[in-house]
Amino acid sequence: MSWWRTPTARRYFFGYTLLAPAVLYVGLLVGLPFLFSLYLAMSDASVGSPVARFVGIENFVSALENAVFYTAVRNTLIFTFGAGILKGLLGTTLAFLLLQPFKGRKIVRALIVIPFTLPIAVSVLGWKWMFDSQFSVLNWALSRMGLIGGYGSPDWPVWLGEPGLALLSVMFVNVWRGFPFSAIVLLAGLTSVPPEIIEAAKVDGASFLTRFRKVIVPMIAPILFIGSAFDTVFTLSDLSIVYLLTNGGPDGATEILPTLAYNTGIRGGALGRGAAISLFLFPLLLPAIILLLRTLRRKQY
Amino acid sequence: MSDGRSTEIVSPTLDRRSFLKTTGAVVAGASLGDMLLARQAPAQTKGTSLRILVWSHFVPAYDVWFDKFTKEWGEKNGVKVRVDHIPHLELPARYAAEFAAGAGHDLIYFVGQILTGQYYRNLVDLSDVAEGLGKKYGGWLDASKSAAQVGGAWYGVPDFFISIPVLWRKDLFASVGLGEPKTWDDLRKAAGLLKGKGHPTGMQFSHCNDANHNWRALMYCYGVKETDPSGQNITIDSKEMREALKMGKALYDDGMTPEVFSWDDASDNRFLASGVASWIHDAISAFHSTRITNPKVFEQTFVVPEVAGPGGRWNVGEPNVWAVWKFSKNIAGAKEFIQHVADNQKEAMEASLGYNMPFMKDQYKKPMPYLGKDAKLGALQDQEKITAFLGFPGPMTPAAQEVVTTFIVPDMFTKVARGAPIEDTMKWGVGEIRRIYAKHKAS
Repeated sequence: MSWWRTPTARRYFFGYTLLAPAVLYVGLLVGLPFLFSLYLAMSDASVGSPVARFVGIENFVSALENAVFYTAVRNTLIFTFGAGILKGLLGTTLAFLLLQPFKGRKIVRALIVIPFTLPIAVSVLGWKWMFDSQFSVLNWALSRMGLIGGYGSPDWPVWLGEPGLALLSVMFVNVWRGFPFSAIVLLAGLTSVPPEIIEAAKVDGASFLTRFRKVIVPMIAPILFIGSAFDTVFTLSDLSIVYLLTNGGPDGATEILPTLAYNTGIRGGALGRGAAISLFLFPLLLPAIILLLRTLRRKQY
Repeated sequence: MSDGRSTEIVSPTLDRRSFLKTTGAVVAGASLGDMLLARQAPAQTKGTSLRILVWSHFVPAYDVWFDKFTKEWGEKNGVKVRVDHIPHLELPARYAAEFAAGAGHDLIYFVGQILTGQYYRNLVDLSDVAEGLGKKYGGWLDASKSAAQVGGAWYGVPDFFISIPVLWRKDLFASVGLGEPKTWDDLRKAAGLLKGKGHPTGMQFSHCNDANHNWRALMYCYGVKETDPSGQNITIDSKEMREALKMGKALYDDGMTPEVFSWDDASDNRFLASGVASWIHDAISAFHSTRITNPKVFEQTFVVPEVAGPGGRWNVGEPNVWAVWKFSKNIAGAKEFIQHVADNQKEAMEASLGYNMPFMKDQYKKPMPYLGKDAKLGALQDQEKITAFLGFPGPMTPAAQEVVTTFIVPDMFTKVARGAPIEDTMKWGVGEIRRIYAKHKAS
């Protein structure tokens, strides 16, 4: 009997058949576009030119010669990791709050995901109004409370106009939109921790922080790491918030790699250089994801 | 029985087709002359469909008119027309997607980013349409070629341009003893005097379209030439550019507040309508919207086509250009429609409340539609004499467009306004522009 007819071979065949749609999906929807963007990045392709010439690493060198590129890399890192940390902290706090029994908990749990479920264009336009230099509801509220002066006074914040504030504002919107998701992910993890283990830790005299650090985190580590990985990818490649609020301005204060790539590649028409800029996200992302996945493997029980 | 060779089968259907083709050609040829005279769509467009992609006009009433106008044309000529309006900032992504797919709208529209130079290899040469219209309406304005021609051929047909004049408050200027502004210095003086009274001015120091237009208007009035007329050689590294940057900083220091660093294209409209602004530099949509939102302010708001600088008076317009993909399924219909719109430019001007400035010389005969009837807007009837487009005096090449989309010029003005030395800023800005032009030359 040939090996192909053995039960082992049949089991392999069955397994790979089940795996095939996922592999095909990743190949077609992730692998091919990635290879295509690599091809674009190594060519002089423009939006209107069907024939592109191979230019090697010229587009990458061009990006490195662009002073704005370094600002964009710096801002991208601040935006991603700053927002990530804030989302983690706020998400954890919210998850613990939502874990407590109180009246209307189910409704509150449903309501908190609204920012995440709203179409991004709608919610960002809402924030654009709230950050408006003249009609900002935040400023008018702060002014009415006597915390800042009136419109036109020196302490009237121009949220999207001052470099530091502008970057903070776009990060804030990302956090506002993303931390309910972090909370829901954590909540799912927390509810999966058997209460008897927590009770046992309490009996052993473990404080809240010790219980969290030594019992809860190790148990929900897989969920935490997967959530963090997703969040890092989404934040790093998030174009919409910055594009709609500031388009990278003023003077590059909020420029991130996705806006620079979009304005160069699509609006400016230089597809090759735009693709090269966007591919710089890859080396930023890859170590972060490898680190997360390796830690996850080590932490699995 | 077959001998293995192919056999030609003479089909009676083929004969009928040949017959129809021949007779069709004779009929079409005979009626062509009549159709050209009667300006009716040719029979070949009957029963076809035409998909048009345009932007969402800043004067909403114009879109209402345009949709009705299009529908009527379609009904009259037996063409099923569909018009898609999308925000102008989304158009470049849509063009890129349609080009990549090789399918999409039959007739497209460049506004904001004029990508004629990028896409011309894939656009229908519309020289026959443009030259015909030019002859009919006294010739095209010189600036038209900048947006629609590549290598002497018309790959786009200019529809209209948006003028961006100075909108100023007569009552506020009078309160500090000033009259109509004639120069950039007048504007600076007014803003300086009025800022202290709670009426600053503002021009966008941010990443938006208006920032690109407004600062270039100042630059061109100061004699700055971005490139030579060929558009190939950069000439922005000049004494004039340094003077323009100095004036930009003076305007900011004397007459503006930090909010201008956060503005988008509509912020100055709101600034005017709120009654705070002493003057703004914006399209007349701001003027019209103030009429509705704040009639008192509107009463005191007047329009100056442009103020002068040491290099003359140049207004930076925003061209709107028709183009047709080579893969369009209805090239004949698209061409017919472009001509139909041009033939009805007067109606379009009325519908847009004078916002759509024509591109052909005869269309500037006074009184012009709408503008000729409005005392405040009447001065815009000479706007064609002072209009330049982005990249001036060169054409709107792909390199010039990339300089626009990466906001290098507004960023130069922002750096200087925030205190960066002019020489450092020039070194940075000119370096960035040189890098972009070098890449385009190499490709």
